[in-house]
Amino acid sequence: MTDQTSVIQDVQRGMIPAHIYNDKDIFELEKERLFGRSWLFVAHESEVPEAGDYVVRRVLEDSFIISRDEKGEIRALFNMCLHRGMQVCRAEMGNASHFRCPYHGWSYRNDGRIVGLPFHQEAYGGEEGFKKKGQTLLPAPSLGVYNGLIFISLDPDAEPLEDFLGEFKFYMDYYTKQSADGIELRGPQRWRVKANWKIGAENFAGDMYHTPQTHTSVVEIGLFREPKAEKRKDGTTYWAGSGGGTTYKLPEGTLEERLRYVGYPDDMIERMKEQWSQEQLDVVGKDGFMVSAASVFPNMSFVHNWPRVEEDSDEVLPFISIRQWQPISEDETEIVSWFAVDKNASEEFKALSYKAYLMCFGSGGMFEQDDVENWVSLTSTAGGPMARRLLLNSRMGMLENGQNVVEPLSAEEYSGPGSTRVGYSEYNQRELLLRWADHLERPMEKAAQLRVGTDPIQPPPAAGADPSRAAGSTAIAAAQITSQEA
Amino acid sequence: MSVEADRNGKTLSEQSVLGGHAPRTQRTGESLPFDDRLHLDAHRWLVDEAYLLDAQDYDAWMARIAEDVHYLMPVRVTTALGAGYSTSPGMAHLDENKYSLSRRVARFATEHAWTEDPPSRLRHYVTNVRTFRTDKQDEIIVDSAVLLFRSRGDVREAATVSAGREDLLRRTGTGWALARRTIMVDESVIRMQNLAIFL
Ligand code: FES
Ligand SMILES: [Fe+2]
Repeated sequence: MTDQTSVIQDVQRGMIPAHIYNDKDIFELEKERLFGRSWLFVAHESEVPEAGDYVVRRVLEDSFIISRDEKGEIRALFNMCLHRGMQVCRAEMGNASHFRCPYHGWSYRNDGRIVGLPFHQEAYGGEEGFKKKGQTLLPAPSLGVYNGLIFISLDPDAEPLEDFLGEFKFYMDYYTKQSADGIELRGPQRWRVKANWKIGAENFAGDMYHTPQTHTSVVEIGLFREPKAEKRKDGTTYWAGSGGGTTYKLPEGTLEERLRYVGYPDDMIERMKEQWSQEQLDVVGKDGFMVSAASVFPNMSFVHNWPRVEEDSDEVLPFISIRQWQPISEDETEIVSWFAVDKNASEEFKALSYKAYLMCFGSGGMFEQDDVENWVSLTSTAGGPMARRLLLNSRMGMLENGQNVVEPLSAEEYSGPGSTRVGYSEYNQRELLLRWADHLERPMEKAAQLRVGTDPIQPPPAAGADPSRAAGSTAIAAAQITSQEA
Repeated sequence: MSVEADRNGKTLSEQSVLGGHAPRTQRTGESLPFDDRLHLDAHRWLVDEAYLLDAQDYDAWMARIAEDVHYLMPVRVTTALGAGYSTSPGMAHLDENKYSLSRRVARFATEHAWTEDPPSRLRHYVTNVRTFRTDKQDEIIVDSAVLLFRSRGDVREAATVSAGREDLLRRTGTGWALARRTIMVDESVIRMQNLAIFL
């Protein structure tokens, strides 16, 4: 692998070597040092509501079964048979008490424990030859849940999820905790685009600057009233903990009037008032800002918008979407996009909010279509030798001497945590890429190995055993697999 | 085709979140002989439509869409044999009525729909057409297979989408109109940068 020190140093100065958006060596380093240890979103508890429900999700090449076991606990199990390594589950979703490997018939409970090993006695001489007792499919090294959002990390020593998210949790609640029961997730839609995964994550984190240009057409057709240039720059960008995002400036009014302005009905507003802290309410009601797009490092994003979806009506309908930019290669990304809605919303609201999502984002969304066209084009341009001569200036918002063009809002002006500024800037894109550079700089520890059938095994970690915690927050310590360095 | 009924014995149009308004007419009997007048009409309608979509002549296309249309493209998921469903519950790629289709078409007519400027080169291949009567005099069901080839720019790899369709066509004063379409795309993960196209 070539030395990337100068690339990392450039990025740390806010100058982006253009080829990082299409470079095989960089991608290999990202796989190892970034995706090999970051917290990564995989599923939401509402996708596996009943015992036995499962979905299969990937973290780059690794496939994980995210299941709810018979006790109601959430599991993340590496989808590889302990015998010869076949995928034990080849569906994307379903309900099963057991997974049976199609190759030689080993079977596993939905908590990962092995139950069936044909001819254990005859073939292995029983426990003396192969310790079947206590063997389980390899659990994800770390598992954590916040507001029902399930994250895994391939690092057994990952810091607790909530510590990692930090102050971004404040903002995550706007998307995923509009009432005590939180969200339900539908989907995902999945599609592949020939674009580098970082571009989307950066765009959702802080690119308010593109909205008036890229998304002109959705305003012209009456779908969206907001992204007029003058309006977008009145919003803010904020960075807090491991994530950051953008907001729109709301017109004058009370908290209720402002929530109604983006289309929330009164019953939902009442539940938000019960659910959110005074500071969370004040960002909307007192400061007048409403969250829009956001990203959590490295590759999870949120979006909240409020288009007009019905003919003969000026009413707007808010929707929430959660997505993952799943890297396939240096020039290809699988976009995995879910629709999210508050569990306690009325069926009518849920249907219209879903319609708003379909019209705006996702595989067929009209905002999305123009975004992706740009990102595909950027990626292909970044692949050639000329791109290596360009250091893109990602310093918007900063003068050459490092001084801010616009100072952060003061505590009087803004009630939320983190660093927040009005107007266009690239602070958030820099925050994302700084973390990216920090990861790429830091060598990996050698991962522990497990000798199947000989090493003693402890039960895998689980989350959400108590359904009442389903929408709450739990952070689970790393899997304690006793192992030896091979 | 498997669009007729899924696990609850309900059609996908009935199960979809936004299909409440959709016409419910279903096929009756065997497919019609290929020299049946209705089949010839249906086949011609689909081929003409393919030419309109290739040319992105969306105003002409919209004129052939019924006011109460339901245009549905479910998300396919891989499920175990016997699971009883192969679409993502409560989610679709497209779940449209005439108004939302009209917004998509209107967007292409602006000068700022960058994804189709320059436009894609499109070719809709339509085959495996068969036609069924329904219990309504003026409505027929037409099954077809469609393969869309889409090329953008000079050297970018082209993208394809393969799908089966079930259409409900209704005879009107000015010809046949599309009243319901269910598009069963053959991939779980779409290999196309967006669905700024129609199938
Ligand atoms: S590989 Fe799974 S049983 Fe042999
Ligand atoms: Fe955008």
